[in-house]
Amino acid sequence: MTGMPAIRGRAWSPCLTSVKLAIYDTFATTSHAPTVSGIARQLNAAIEDVQSAFDELHKQRLLVPEPGDPTRIRMAPPFSGVETPFRVTVRDKLYYAPCAWDSLGIPAALHADGVIQTTDGHTGEPIMLVVRNGAPVPEPCVIHIAVPAAHWWDDIIYT
Amino acid sequence: MLLFRSEETVGEWCSARGLAKRPLVSLDQVWVMAREWYGNRLTVDSRRPGPDEMVEIFARIGLTGPFWDPKSGR
Repeated sequence: MTGMPAIRGRAWSPCLTSVKLAIYDTFATTSHAPTVSGIARQLNAAIEDVQSAFDELHKQRLLVPEPGDPTRIRMAPPFSGVETPFRVTVRDKLYYAPCAWDSLGIPAALHADGVIQTTDGHTGEPIMLVVRNGAPVPEPCVIHIAVPAAHWWDDIIYT
Repeated sequence: MLLFRSEETVGEWCSARGLAKRPLVSLDQVWVMAREWYGNRLTVDSRRPGPDEMVEIFARIGLTGPFWDPKSGR
């Protein structure tokens, strides 16, 4: 990011856009969460500029830092940086999604078919969802969202 | 946001935790939500839908009322 302006509070500077794209590209290509230092190396950018971009992306609700460590990513929806009960396979690559909604968000973001393996939230019965030809194959199931929309980001890790 | 096999297991999950049962979302509805939220997430111009856009998206798939309004009670 040499030669690019620092963020300094502006919402969508070239730096912020570059960091956002690098985070999502890393998730998409490796299925793992990048860190501030990893993105800084990738973009040849200053650590403090990338950290500022992480903080801004959190404000914009595009990523959630690991609790207690703002240099790491817990989730950049629809991708999770940690293992979850929502396993999503796309093009032979295994991803984890933070929740049921985001599990479908991964094939939607990657514009690809995919398979979601999860369990009934109460009984633990395995449930497999298939996205084929751009739409989910019908499967008996429902999604329950326990928190109203106005409070989703009060504790997004729980939501 | 959990997945359940049926409305019955949602009810059991809520009862076990003393939680209110909320509106249920179908697979087709959540697929629309997934595409609207994440279909362009890997692009330069991607961003999260704003509050009014969220209400419009939810209404389009039949999800209306205060539960689906991010400004409700704020």
